[in-house]
Amino acid sequence: MPGHVDVQTVDELRRNLAAVTVDAVIRNLTEAPARVGGDVVEPAPADIVFEGNLDEVNRFFYENDWSDGLPIVPPTPARVAEFLRFADRPGETALGVLLPDRRRATVWNVAVNGVMAGCRPEYMPILVALVEAMADPRYGVEHSGNTPGAETLIILNGPLIKELGFNYEQGALRDGIQANTTIGRFWRLYLRNVAGFLHHRTDKGTFGNTWRVVLAENEDALRRIGWPTIAEDEGLPAGNAVTISRYTGGGVIASVFGSGPDRMLPYLADALVGKLGWELLFTVGMGAGSQRPLLILSPILAETLARGGLDKAGLKQRLFDLARIPAARLERYVGEWTNFIPGRPSLASLVKAGQIPAVFAESDDPERLVPIVCRPEDLMVAVSGDPLRTNAYAFAHNGILGYPTTKPIRLPAEWSRLLREARGR
Amino acid sequence: MLLPAGQRASGEWIDDTLRARAEEKGLLARTPRAGDFPRQRVELIRDPDPAGAVNRLYRERGWTDGLPIVPPTLARVDEMLGAGPLERHTVLGDVEPLGGVASVEKIAVNAVMAGCEPAHFPVVLAAVQAILDPAFNLRGVQTTDENVAPLLIVNGPAAARLGVNAGWGALGPGWPANAAIGRAVRLVMNNLGGGWPGAVSFAGLGQPGRYSLCLAEREDAAVPWPPLHVEQGYRPEQSTVTVLRAETVINVTGGLDELASVMGSAASLFGILHGGKPGVILSPFTARRLAGEGWTRADVRRELHARGRLSAETWRRSWLHATVRASDWPRWARAAAEEGSIPAVEEPADITLIVAGADLPIPQHAYCPSWGHPPCRVTREVVLPPAVRGTMTGP
Repeated sequence: MPGHVDVQTVDELRRNLAAVTVDAVIRNLTEAPARVGGDVVEPAPADIVFEGNLDEVNRFFYENDWSDGLPIVPPTPARVAEFLRFADRPGETALGVLLPDRRRATVWNVAVNGVMAGCRPEYMPILVALVEAMADPRYGVEHSGNTPGAETLIILNGPLIKELGFNYEQGALRDGIQANTTIGRFWRLYLRNVAGFLHHRTDKGTFGNTWRVVLAENEDALRRIGWPTIAEDEGLPAGNAVTISRYTGGGVIASVFGSGPDRMLPYLADALVGKLGWELLFTVGMGAGSQRPLLILSPILAETLARGGLDKAGLKQRLFDLARIPAARLERYVGEWTNFIPGRPSLASLVKAGQIPAVFAESDDPERLVPIVCRPEDLMVAVSGDPLRTNAYAFAHNGILGYPTTKPIRLPAEWSRLLREARGR
Repeated sequence: MLLPAGQRASGEWIDDTLRARAEEKGLLARTPRAGDFPRQRVELIRDPDPAGAVNRLYRERGWTDGLPIVPPTLARVDEMLGAGPLERHTVLGDVEPLGGVASVEKIAVNAVMAGCEPAHFPVVLAAVQAILDPAFNLRGVQTTDENVAPLLIVNGPAAARLGVNAGWGALGPGWPANAAIGRAVRLVMNNLGGGWPGAVSFAGLGQPGRYSLCLAEREDAAVPWPPLHVEQGYRPEQSTVTVLRAETVINVTGGLDELASVMGSAASLFGILHGGKPGVILSPFTARRLAGEGWTRADVRRELHARGRLSAETWRRSWLHATVRASDWPRWARAAAEEGSIPAVEEPADITLIVAGADLPIPQHAYCPSWGHPPCRVTREVVLPPAVRGTMTGP
């Protein structure tokens, strides 16, 4: 089909179908493609692919599409070996097979990309857990090159936040802190070099954006108010864990004013509504029930809400009740303005078909207010950022095309000794 | 150094298939290092004689036509890309039969190796677009046991500007644009399509035109008729490449009588069978004489169609007639045979008539019989980058 079906008239569509598409379909169904033998041969894990000085290595890696354009740290055997000391499993251990290149994720190639990204060896347990999450079918890594071009956010929980020096206070989402920044870069390098997402080829993101730095939660603040962490919300016991989820975009909610929930919640709920547009089709359309927006509260906002009597579940319930839009508007996102769902289904028909909860069709008034997610627990709430600023941040989620996935982080035996040694270097 | 080899959209490198085929056929002596290369975009060659090392390596990997190549360094390929109208990641299609992806960058790598100047690149791109047109039947051209090769005809102001020769020895050696542009197309066929002789390409004898077969049409004052691209509806100030499937180039010295006699011979049998569109290259001397007598191009084609006839007897006694089922011959040819003789083509318009060669009083023409389905004369406009277009003047 020449051009894009979305912007063609019915006549243009018909003409293009008859002139181009039908022939191509018939050709594809009737011609045997030439057979090409064998798997793609790639260097063995420990092969030396290049010898040269730092500038030469960087040029060579960049020209071969192995780098993101920033200088890399050359993944020498010695550096990789140092990373492997911090893994709880041997280098050849397989962590999964990643689409689209169907390349095997191994502890070894995690270490190689970690070195290149500028990570420290002791970040290795986090990197391994991240790749286990990437390889989990629930997350859906194969969608990472889709046209809306959303980007993953990594959320870190557990004692490692402090042990490894992650930033979880002022500037929590800003680059500049080695642990947060280099692990964010690792994620994108791994998508490039192992999963195989490359500009102009497997990556079809229309715009995309730069990788996000790791968000570490302020667990001191969480403990003070008795709220669970993100990883605990997702079903893990307290401890070190990574959660990955893919967001189409986000933005700050500045100057949240008020001394208690009644004053603060309408503004926060309005911000959640404002961040979601076409992404609502992950609530009631494609992958119904998979929309998981993320709200990040600064510690002082979380503490003020808690002081007002809200636990985290209560907060989610209040936001679920307040963050609502007219049913007719939701139907337009799903059936009129976008072209993901054929047939312009009404919310009532989707409820009737059992695809979404009854709350979306409590009356037939087109102006009735309906929620933006299917269940209160679909909302995710994290606590991080400058402890004394009254700002929050909201992310719109990409639904089934990057579903929240949480993995525990496993530390090697003698972690404390290894960490002490590493700090000394 | 960039790698010229073909990689399919699904990731496989066609060289792995080529190595297996070459092994089966006992042809590894020609390409001892087939498939032996790093699966990546660039490779660093360190050697006291880097150009020599690249040449030896690329030849042994099966990436050349046997002649030395220009090493495709990043700088040379970037310069080539800068002279073309398309962005490096643009894909023109998959090159049959093995289906290497023809990205603009891969084509540029092969163009550098062929010795192209950057200014030639828009013509190479247009020619590759033409051979990728399904009507060209590249899979057939690459794999047949016949000796067919693409014949590239350049028209319009780009020809003179780039030095694509239409005069003295236009199909002979000595003209860098003619040599390199045709060679670049061959290297694309070899490296992205996998047309390795004996392994995938089964042409029994081959022909020198498989190194390069590229010329321009004369559009100077010596020629009285509008050129081929104008005849096809392009404006004179546009430039085009027209691609034919040519079995060979047969020299014919004389007049239309001699041309008709060669066309009405066994040379045209495959063209008749497949309904081809052969080429006729007319000498400027003859074109001027005929025009002076009031002939148009169409008149010449009609004359050659009317008189270039193969006798039904010759046809019936031919090897091809004995080999092919009677019903495989086109209806028009069988009907003509009933009348006693078969024209070399079904319709006069099937003859691709151009004027080229030196302006000599000894009239030298050529007949380029065609091979293969479907009838093919594919033309693509040569799109020059804006900077070049701005300085261009029409004829």
